[in-house]
Amino acid sequence: MIGVNNGWVIASSLLVTLLFHAAPLPLEWRWFRPELVMLTLFYWSLALPHKVGIVSAAVTGLMVDVLNGSAVGALAMGMVVADVFILLNYQRIRQFDGLQQSITLAVLVALALLVEHWLMRAVGLGGTGLAFLWSVPLTLLCWLPLREILRGLRRQFEVL
Amino acid sequence: MSLFWFRDSEYLRGARTVALDTSAAAYSLASSPLRAVEATDDYLQSRQSLREENARLRQENLVLKGRTQRLAAVLAENTRYKALLNSTAMLEGDVMVAEVIATAADPARHILVLDKGESQGVREGQPLLGADGLMGQIVQLGESTSRALLVTDAIHAVPVQVLRNGVRGIAEGTGDIDRLIVRHVATTTDIVVGDTLVTSGLGGRFPPGYPVAEVTAITAEPGAAFLTVTSRPMAQLDRGRHVMLVVDKPTIAVSADR
Repeated sequence: MIGVNNGWVIASSLLVTLLFHAAPLPLEWRWFRPELVMLTLFYWSLALPHKVGIVSAAVTGLMVDVLNGSAVGALAMGMVVADVFILLNYQRIRQFDGLQQSITLAVLVALALLVEHWLMRAVGLGGTGLAFLWSVPLTLLCWLPLREILRGLRRQFEVL
Repeated sequence: MSLFWFRDSEYLRGARTVALDTSAAAYSLASSPLRAVEATDDYLQSRQSLREENARLRQENLVLKGRTQRLAAVLAENTRYKALLNSTAMLEGDVMVAEVIATAADPARHILVLDKGESQGVREGQPLLGADGLMGQIVQLGESTSRALLVTDAIHAVPVQVLRNGVRGIAEGTGDIDRLIVRHVATTTDIVVGDTLVTSGLGGRFPPGYPVAEVTAITAEPGAAFLTVTSRPMAQLDRGRHVMLVVDKPTIAVSADR
């Protein structure tokens, strides 16, 4: 049946992580906030590359940009770049064991953040060095639990 | 990312407003559990502590009232002197109170999301005050929300002068919530640790005379042409639920500027 593939699960999982992204945290802790939105998008892109691709990455990135109040499109660009890598290599990444996959995803998140900060610097908005990379270690630790949760959701709702 | 280049365009104004209001709603939703806890806490305060607080506030109120009386006299005197000096009188700025909905998620930026927007008369560039001093200015407007850039943001700068002797400078944000720096101060300048920096009103964006920061360190590199002056913002930038927006347009009080 066409149309019964539960795409709303993808959208709502992204919205929930966006809310987590907006949740209040003390200023010093904010540097360590794991990039759950990006991980969620990358999970769906890995699992359903025919469905979640660079357009989804760009739209999600734009939403995060708007939340952050930063240069609109910077993170969107970063996420598109990282997502292209996933779309080209999803079969290989799926075969990785847990540790390898965590590291790969963390590197991709770091890549997206780097591209974002390049662009921010280019329009004169950046300015606190490489401190934004502090979110990467926790992001790495979050990948496996998040993957299990999203995989559970995907199978429960038979998202295709 | 062509959106990048059109981010200031008039055509996208509507979209920007909607996006800003939506994101403010998201922030408000995300912080609602915390607010609920705070509200319960507030509600469940004991009678004893309420009475104590009441007594304390009453005392504080009395003290402040006393000070205001003196302020009125000083203000009148000041206006007379200004009239003698033939310069524009400094207008007493009226303020509007706004609530802080959230601080934006990006740790590298110092941005507050406020619950007042265009429909309440907020305008871009409007100065933002805390209880102890200048906090920043409005940078983005939504219909009923807005975003304010704090003075400590790495891209913010505010014209200041030393309260003691009127030496002028520009206090730049550093990205640290408790540090502002004043660059390009000549080595012979009379500025010492503990000096208060207030807004100078030059540039016309901020009204003159509001405290901005207190000088905490002065470094003089041997051979360098300028001092680096480090200061700590007066306003409590990372706490507090309410901020004040200066309502009327600042008038430039420096007669030499005309």
